[in-house]
Amino acid sequence: MDISLKIRRFNPEKDKKPNWQTFKIIAEPTWKILDCLMHVKNEIDGTLTFRKSCAHGICGSDAMKINGKAALACQELVKNYKSKKFVIEPLPGFPVIKDLVVDFDLFFEKLRKVLPWFINDERPPADSERLQSPEQVEKILESVKCILCGGCTSSCPSAWMNADYLGPAALLKAWRFIGDSRDHATEERIRVVNDHDGVWRCHTIFNCVEACPKEINVTDHITMLRREIFKRKL
Amino acid sequence: MEGIKYKWTASFSEHFRYKFHTGMVAWAIHRITGIGLTIFIAIHIWSISHLGSGPESFNATMALYSTPLFKIGEVMLFAVIIFHAMNGLRIIWVDFFGGAKYHKKLFWALMVAAMVLFIMGIVATFLPMINLINL
Repeated sequence: MDISLKIRRFNPEKDKKPNWQTFKIIAEPTWKILDCLMHVKNEIDGTLTFRKSCAHGICGSDAMKINGKAALACQELVKNYKSKKFVIEPLPGFPVIKDLVVDFDLFFEKLRKVLPWFINDERPPADSERLQSPEQVEKILESVKCILCGGCTSSCPSAWMNADYLGPAALLKAWRFIGDSRDHATEERIRVVNDHDGVWRCHTIFNCVEACPKEINVTDHITMLRREIFKRKL
Repeated sequence: MEGIKYKWTASFSEHFRYKFHTGMVAWAIHRITGIGLTIFIAIHIWSISHLGSGPESFNATMALYSTPLFKIGEVMLFAVIIFHAMNGLRIIWVDFFGGAKYHKKLFWALMVAAMVLFIMGIVATFLPMINLINL
């Protein structure tokens, strides 16, 4: 089928401003947007730049704005779209390095602020692992699925307006460890997220939930963090 | 690197370039109605302040509000208050009672309730006027 890809392009060596370029290609309905981009890169214009790695929605490196919404190019099928005119842009709210490639430095810097690693100085029981009950696993199961594609933070109007806001991805990661029964650094993380640039900057707009390719209800997790902080103040 | 515009935020226009979902629509209208209500409060305080300069001054201001144009304004104000209150309930629900899991259903259910309240308000506003005409 005939489709058109309108891509926002930017070459830092030549362009002062980003510009649009439209490619008309013949695609299979079963192609993903990533396949279309690969086709353009391989057959039409080799200078088209974008990130990709696994191409199966696991690595999270090909998040971009597709038809006005952050999504993973490798998860969006051509046949699932009514209009076959696609508008593809880099993720909003991130500095563009080239074409669809954006800088993730600040995103990961904010992530590191919530201490996104397991902290527990005690030794595990000698004869087993650190076991969890099904209920304890259930509490963090959804947040564990995050692949750090950046779709949520890049779709968040609160983050667009304020570069200091930790963002949905970092807050979700904070919950992943705060909610973990085996982790011992809950209070440290609560201190980080209990800030006007932490959980309280979220205005429950739910753009992150719409953007998440892993269907994680990010806002729900941010409100769970808020209730966790609220309980401590009672 | 030269040529790269390093900006870790998006311009305000990004709001209009991004796809609007229920949550973003609710949030945007909530903010706009919030500004509207702030303006109303200022006007309200201004008109009440006429009480200080005697009953004639206050009655003159009140007479202004009984014109048809202000009746329409009253209906609009009611719509603004109803939306802001109903969506406010939704936000409380999301924040305190885990409403984030079903926030869209919550929004539309509250909007139905808002509509019912709004129609009741319109009836209450215009029914006395109809009775006056009949007299």
